[in-house]
Amino acid sequence: MIADIESLRGVTLETLYDTPEGHLIKSCIQCGTCAGTCPHGEYMEYPPRRIIKMMQLGLLDKVFDSDSMLKCVNCYACMSKCPREIHLTEVLLQLIKEQTIMRLPVVPQELQKALENSYRYGNPMGESGRKRINWAQNSEVPIRILSQNSEPVDVLWFVESYPSYHPRGQDTARAIAKIFNKLDIDFAILGNEEKSAGECGMLSWESGLAESLVDYNMAIFTKYKFKRLVTSDPHALDAFKYRYRMFGFKQEVTHVIPFLWQFFDKLKPMLKKKLHYSVTYHDSCCLGRHNGYFEEPREILKAISGIKITEMVHNRTNAICCGGGGGGMWLDTYFKSQNMERLSDIRIKEAIETGAEVLAVACPYELPRFEDALKVAGYDGKMVVKDITELILEAMED
Amino acid sequence: MENKNGKIRIGFYICHCGTNIASMVDVDKVTEYAASLPNVVVSKHYKYMCSDPGQEMIISDIKENNLSRVVVAACSPFLHENTFRNATFQGGLNQFYFQMVNTREQNAWVHLDALATTDKAIDLVRAAIYRVAEHKPLERKKVPIHPDVLVLGGGIAGIQSALTLANAGKKVYLVEREPTIGGHMAMFDKTFPTLDCAACILTPKMSSVKNHPNITLWTYAEVVGLDGYVGNFKAKIKHKPRYIIEDLCVGCMDCVEACVYKEPRFFDEFNQGLSKRKPVYIPFPQATPQIVVIDPETCIHFKSDKCKQTCVTACERNAVDLQQQPSFEEIEVGTVIVATGFQTVDARKVPYYGYGQFPGVYTALEVERLINASGPTQGEVVLRDGSHPKTIGIVHCVGSRDKHTNQWCSRVCCLYSVKLAHLLKEHTDAEIYNFYIDMRTPGKMMEEFYNRIAEEGMKFIRGRVADIYPDREDPQRKRLIVKAEDTLIQEIIKIPVDMVVLSTGLEPRSDAQEVRRMLNIACSSEGFYIERHPKLAPVNTFTDGIFLAGCCQGPKDIPDTVAQAGAAAAEALALIDKGFIEIEPITAFINEEECSGCKSCVPLCPYTAISFLEETKKAVINEALCKGCGTCVAACPSGSILQNLFEDDEIFSEIEGILNFRNIPMEMSNA
Repeated sequence: MIADIESLRGVTLETLYDTPEGHLIKSCIQCGTCAGTCPHGEYMEYPPRRIIKMMQLGLLDKVFDSDSMLKCVNCYACMSKCPREIHLTEVLLQLIKEQTIMRLPVVPQELQKALENSYRYGNPMGESGRKRINWAQNSEVPIRILSQNSEPVDVLWFVESYPSYHPRGQDTARAIAKIFNKLDIDFAILGNEEKSAGECGMLSWESGLAESLVDYNMAIFTKYKFKRLVTSDPHALDAFKYRYRMFGFKQEVTHVIPFLWQFFDKLKPMLKKKLHYSVTYHDSCCLGRHNGYFEEPREILKAISGIKITEMVHNRTNAICCGGGGGGMWLDTYFKSQNMERLSDIRIKEAIETGAEVLAVACPYELPRFEDALKVAGYDGKMVVKDITELILEAMED
Repeated sequence: MENKNGKIRIGFYICHCGTNIASMVDVDKVTEYAASLPNVVVSKHYKYMCSDPGQEMIISDIKENNLSRVVVAACSPFLHENTFRNATFQGGLNQFYFQMVNTREQNAWVHLDALATTDKAIDLVRAAIYRVAEHKPLERKKVPIHPDVLVLGGGIAGIQSALTLANAGKKVYLVEREPTIGGHMAMFDKTFPTLDCAACILTPKMSSVKNHPNITLWTYAEVVGLDGYVGNFKAKIKHKPRYIIEDLCVGCMDCVEACVYKEPRFFDEFNQGLSKRKPVYIPFPQATPQIVVIDPETCIHFKSDKCKQTCVTACERNAVDLQQQPSFEEIEVGTVIVATGFQTVDARKVPYYGYGQFPGVYTALEVERLINASGPTQGEVVLRDGSHPKTIGIVHCVGSRDKHTNQWCSRVCCLYSVKLAHLLKEHTDAEIYNFYIDMRTPGKMMEEFYNRIAEEGMKFIRGRVADIYPDREDPQRKRLIVKAEDTLIQEIIKIPVDMVVLSTGLEPRSDAQEVRRMLNIACSSEGFYIERHPKLAPVNTFTDGIFLAGCCQGPKDIPDTVAQAGAAAAEALALIDKGFIEIEPITAFINEEECSGCKSCVPLCPYTAISFLEETKKAVINEALCKGCGTCVAACPSGSILQNLFEDDEIFSEIEGILNFRNIPMEMSNA
């Protein structure tokens, strides 16, 4: 991970070479691991290795004129295997991506819409900001909203857009609310005051949009007193943990799964119900490769009696991305037009091969992506996709 | 001027070191300045002070100008202090009437501003000139050297060193922790670039070691302590219980035959687990010595105490002793050669290569055994599922050149990969792909070897392997896909193979740090033992009398290992045959009149050089053990410990010199 993220604010491709990150880039040995491990590497004219070479030779314009970086799904695969530990996804690729998008003759429509929606409504789906809290109405447990009761709180739960609006996301939001209640956690949410964190990919793609969201959320955070931020979206975790730092955000932040891991001793005896599921777990890129939470989700799953975990061929550091990151969520149509197989369709085949009945996930993008992929694979009904929090709640309830 | 040391006439010299110093330091200015300092009679600069003419200049100046002290500003004293001390001596002075100024490593090389660098040189020179006036004449002491040598490790490096020394008539103790000598080389099939069989060239040397009258071979033993100093070491050896009385065993293997386990069923270390052994075993047919060992981890007797002990009854010579305990003995040696070798990187550290996950993935060392005629399959390359590979992928740089594992190039993997490609081709006629980052084949006949193997039709793909996973096209999922970017054709390629060979790199042994501490030698940051000088003292350590051989110092191939082992033996011989060593007289000594006998210094000494004499109630310092670290000098509450070359007069004058910058004439100062 980057040693000094604050120092990178304002760094451009012109000034990058002179930073410590730039020195790392100069150490590239052109081994091609990045291209070989990139899930979309075969479809890129300029995968990371070639970008570095072009940068060295002053030929980056050619890179910007290709759509290669539009195909980057911010999965951190290249970065995690790079033998020189160059922070490709975190630094270089973000800067290249921004230029690529700026020079695209036409931004793919779905993506354009998502960016506009985020700007206008604070969420990529274009839902009304006033409906953000709706999921909580039938949550069956009390959920404090800070605008109604601004007393200091231990945990500010940043719900994020997918758990707020997407029907399956809302299921996980309600599950988390119930688990927090059962664990007696002092928590509150921002409710309709919350806007998308800006997620890792988008932040770099549209720095103007990103900064407006950062400014907005940072201003809201200063209104309330809380000890730590816990989010239900790994992309938001990345945004707060790495990008918001550049803008002065200093508070402790974590994701729901590592947060629950901190309460594991209290949680474990509450998992009384036996669940006779064979489960395979899909590592979220942001949670796993980027933040190193490989074992915590697995340990929590193993604590539920009856659950048997079978690993997919690609797991942990080597997991394959669902294709939703870095804007991929809104590029499925574009990728299809380029004859690219959807990554969620590739990944679901590995999940199916394990013979598991449940595909456990920890990222709200993955629920809709894999549910759709199951339909495409004709496996609808034979395997179900569940968020880990849903499984925890199931095991907690009699 | 005359002080208590007599008339002081100083000769000062500053070296250009080509342009190394002169490009940053204005040597004219320094020379002119030094000439203005008290007691300086001669002040000169010269292109290479270490050259013959440079030294000759010092010698003749001493004689012609009646100099009594010499100061040279040049490189690090580490490099040339001895050179100039010697010149001082040749000129007829005590060699310690000399002081060196490091104006290269600690000045010219590390600054960017030439004016400031010159000022710094002036300050350092002034300090040295003030100091040298206080120097006293000192003599080096001679200490005799014990002629016996201890060699740690019985791989090819230790074997070569031991034989060289033994052939020269020296008595050698060779200590090996495994039950047999031979090391990694004994496991190899053939060796690059000549493709001669490793066993054929190694086993004769192994038996020479065993039979040599001058070599005491201790296998299944470890050095657990080393005290003393060059010429006079005391080593403590631990003999691990073999549960066999070594003197009685003749290696007939009757006990192995009689073991209650009728079939071998435990991990066979020598064959990398590709075959099984019994709890009572001999590692391999040419093991040296031919003595059985019993592994308490797997033997029923040690696990449950309920064994019928068939091995004991089977041995006609009563050599099996299940009650054996570890035993210790102490030996005296004058020099030590460390040849503790390397380990290969655990391939699981690169999780995406699937070692331990997919049965078709092998390490290079496993393949060495697999193609060896005396290996687990008698040289037939059969995979774990019993099939024969038709396509093989060899993956270079596994655990090398990678910050996640080891950053260094392991130096031998390109060549052994090429060798394995050839041998596998010979054994299987399979199609073979080598995936490499850069082909590195330096050394005599190595590039020619690479060329020869390339002509055999191997496929070389320039790209580091990014992923290995089962091929979905193969209904049995046994075939593996090796995925990489071929960076030359700029395409992502996925090669289906039946067998993957991981060319794992070389790294320090996992206990290298403990051994380092025990021997009081140094490791570089990666954990290999560090040599005294990378070019000029490649087998010496910073501890006198301890030498390095083989891969414990860094990855190297067999020819280089053998050459280094010979060099280490030669260094040891040079010391032994000289018969004595001279000790640098920077030792501390006690002013007995003032010592109050408080004993504060005794426990502080890191070299256990200080003891307390009950008769006189005073502390005494053993000069041979003292390294001149100064700890006791600083700690003594009554100030009664002094140190040669670091006495108060000398240090205070040096401080006065460095602080006396007002002494710079105004017109010369840049300030």
